This record gives sequence, C-alpha cells and structure tokens, in this order.
Amino acid sequence: MAATFFGEVVKAPCRAGTEDEEEDDEGRKETPEDREVRRQLARKREVRLLRRQTKTSLEVSLLEKYPCSKFIIAIGNNAVAFLSSFVTSSGVWEEVGCAKLWNEWCRTTDTAHLSPTEAFCVFYHLKSNPSVFGSCPRKNLQITVLTCRHVTDYKTSESTSSLHPPFLKALKTQNFKEPPCCSLLEQPNIVHDLPAAVLSYCQVWKIPAILYLCYTDVMKLDLITVEAFKPVLSSRSLKGLVKNIPQSTEVLKKLVTTNEIQSNIYT
Amino acid sequence: MESRYDRAITVFSPDGHLFQVEYAQEAVKKGSTAVGIRGTDIVVLGVEKKSVAKLQDERTVRKICALDDHVCMAFAGLTADARVVINRARVECQSYKLTVEDPVTVEYITRFIATLKQKYTQSNGRRPFGISALIVGFDDDGIPRLYQTDPSGTYHAWKANAIGRSAKTVREFLEKNYTEDAIANDNEAIKLAIRALLEIVQSGGKNIELAIIRRNQPLKMFSAKEIESQVTAIEKEKEETEKKKSKKTA
Repeated sequence: MAATFFGEVVKAPCRAGTEDEEEDDEGRKETPEDREVRRQLARKREVRLLRRQTKTSLEVSLLEKYPCSKFIIAIGNNAVAFLSSFVTSSGVWEEVGCAKLWNEWCRTTDTAHLSPTEAFCVFYHLKSNPSVFGSCPRKNLQITVLTCRHVTDYKTSESTSSLHPPFLKALKTQNFKEPPCCSLLEQPNIVHDLPAAVLSYCQVWKIPAILYLCYTDVMKLDLITVEAFKPVLSSRSLKGLVKNIPQSTEVLKKLVTTNEIQSNIYT
Repeated sequence: MESRYDRAITVFSPDGHLFQVEYAQEAVKKGSTAVGIRGTDIVVLGVEKKSVAKLQDERTVRKICALDDHVCMAFAGLTADARVVINRARVECQSYKLTVEDPVTVEYITRFIATLKQKYTQSNGRRPFGISALIVGFDDDGIPRLYQTDPSGTYHAWKANAIGRSAKTVREFLEKNYTEDAIANDNEAIKLAIRALLEIVQSGGKNIELAIIRRNQPLKMFSAKEIESQVTAIEKEKEETEKKKSKKTA
C-alpha cells in the first residue's frame, strides 16, 4: 500500500507477487483449452523416425533394430562433410532412416509436410558390416562424435597469435580407454549443445565415447577445416572404414565447391 | 582481457596490443594468396584467382592493379578497402607528377599508402584498412623494387614475399627456392612465381593470374594461354627431375 500526494491510498505495484487474498484465480487455473493446446504442441514437437524413401515411419525403434558396435555422429556442416566424403563414400552405406522434429524455432509452421530434405538427422549403416551403426547402449559400443566450434570460443592463457586454427581437441568419457588422436580439451573450455548431451549420456551410462572438436575460424563449409579432421581417420573406430583417401579427397573437393556461396567481400 | 580492449582502435591493451589492427591482419588472411618476386631485370606479381560466379563478369574481379605506368600492386583482404586505397594511390601518383614533374618512386607511393593506413589506426571512429599490399615497380634509376604494406601501416622492402590465405606456405617455399639461379633471367623469375602459387592453388594454371614489369616497359598481364604454357613447362621440368632422381636411386 502506498499513499499518493492527494492522500488517497493506492495499491503499490509489486513485482514480487501479490500477497492479497483476492488472487486472480483465472490466470492460474488451466482450462481444458489450455490443456488441448499443450497436447497439440507436444504432438508437434515429437521426434519422428521414418524412412525417407518410403516416407513410412519406422515402427520398431531404431535402437533395437540395428544393434551396433560403433556409432559415429557428425554435427555441423564441416563434420558432416568430413564424414560423407571420407567414410560414407568408401564402402556401401545404406540409409536406414531419418529423424525429423519441429520446435518453435523452426521456420515452417507446417509439420505434416516437412519436405524430405528437411530431415535433421539421417542414419546410415554399413551394408557390408551391419554392426557399425546404431544407438543402442550395448556392450562393446563405442561412440565417436565430430563437431566444430568457432576458435573465438577457445579459452587459453597463451596469446591468440600462437593458435593456428583449425586445430583438433578431444574430450572423452571415463570408459574410453584408447589414446585420442589429438590433445585433450583443456580447462576452462566447455562443450555445448548436442555433443555435450551425447557425452553426458555416455558418461552416465558408462559407454566409451570420444568427442573430436575442431576449432576453426571459418564456420561455413571449408576445405581446410574439414581436412583438420583427418587425424581421426587413424582412430580405431574409423580405421578400416576409409578405403581410398585420394578418392575421398576428390569427393570432398567437389562437395565444397558445389556448396560454396559466392562472397565478394574478400579478394 | 581481450574483449575489453579490442573494440576501439585507439585503445591499447595492458600488454601493448592494438587488437583492431591484429584483427585486421586476420581479415587479410581471408583473401586469396598473392606473391611478389623481385628479379634482376623484372618484377613479377602472381595471384590466386578467386572463382567467379557463373553470371559474374570476370574482369571486375581484379587483384592486380596498375597505380601508374611503372608501378603496380596486388592486394589481399577486403575488396572494398582495396578499391579505396588504390584510388587514393592513383590520384597521388598523378598529383605528384603534376607537382614535381617526375613519376613517383615505388618507395614514395608505398610510403603514401602506408601512411594512409596508419592514419586509420590512430583516429577515433574509424577502423583500419583490412588489406595488405605488394607494390612492385622500377624507379628511374632502373632498380627493381618490391614492397609490402600491412594494415598497421608498416612497410618493408622484400626480395620475395606472399600475402593472403596461404602466405606462410608460399613464403616457406620462397625461402627455400629463391636463389641467385632462380632469378638469373626473367623467365626463371616468372617460373618461380608460378611454382610458388602452384604449391597452394587448387586446380593448376587456370586459377593463376600473373603480371610483370620489365625495365622501361609498361605492365604486362599474362593471358591464360601464356600461363598454361608456363605451367606445362614447369610440370615437364618436374617430371624430368623426378625421372633423374629415380634413375639415381635405381
């Protein structure tokens, strides 16, 4: 309560919440309408797994259908380019499904008709060795995550002129016993988003997993950044999956040139 | 620490860095490579041509520009900044000639460009020019010159240098291969420039542009055919040296 200049008593606005007994009940109670809206939203935000070619949804969860020993996740356009030119171009990889999801940050509002090219995650498995793929937390499963981050996120006590991006750093779970292909990520650097979620999950469920994080100064698809992932080819999980490196390099070059967005800022 | 001292150009950091100038040098590294070589009777400028969009007119994307009849330069970095610097330099060349009745010396115009760049590192509200330049030419005394400037406004004379994206690799190549024999005659100097660029250029001769100035002659831009023929000659030489090597080991 507060008094104004004219002597009237007015209720002072308070952001801490009203202490009055006459609480506004209407704002708090959930109407059936609200419940319905919330239900619809939850349905919209469901992650759907389906086969891209037939557009049928995968009835059996991918987890059970394709047990595997090695799971490799690439996040971001440079990591995906590396994987698609070096790994999936050697040997025959079959697409087994894709995951589609929608949330409020998506630009389209129509969830039913997301075009086939708008899958957020595509799953492949190696035809000749079906044990390589899957996300089921089984024994002998090893997970490799590849992703990129801008070098300005990298914190170090050394001068930034001593850094030569792109460079690779690794972060592994406790159960991962192999030596990584590059130096480990030092403190106080942290990992964000999906790679962090995957690693946390693996650490909790005691799955050996390693994240290879490439710090680069070019966030768009770039040949030099993708080639920075090359040391990972010598790791146990990727060895044997890459047959023909010169051919892969050609595939990569083609991928980069087709995706190059013309920019005239720098000459 | 950096984030508090890198916004304004006129603010030094506690350890003496001008971060905006250093960041401008990073912008230079985003441009494609340019290499300059000073021979005995020739100066050579070679650049990695950027791939042009299909509908774009190639002639408007030039990295090598003449500043006067006897001076030319190649740049790496922000295109628009380069255009402004080149225009100012060209005007200065003519203004000097009108005033002094002599053409500029290479060192004078380099100093002019460097002073211009330095001014922009010391006034408030401006940012440095994001380009490095390689300036070549012959003075009246007939001596060939090669200078390099950078966003901080410093300039130095070089025997051979490279700027831009893979400058480090090219410079290392030049340090190994710039010998008295390599620049013995004009053709050798041209070949050295092309070989330096072939180290980093992705698809061979068609992504290289070359310009030379010979003593008392105007700037000459090489055509694509001429560059191709040089590249083929270099590749042949390479094959022959490889054959000789394998014969020796066998």
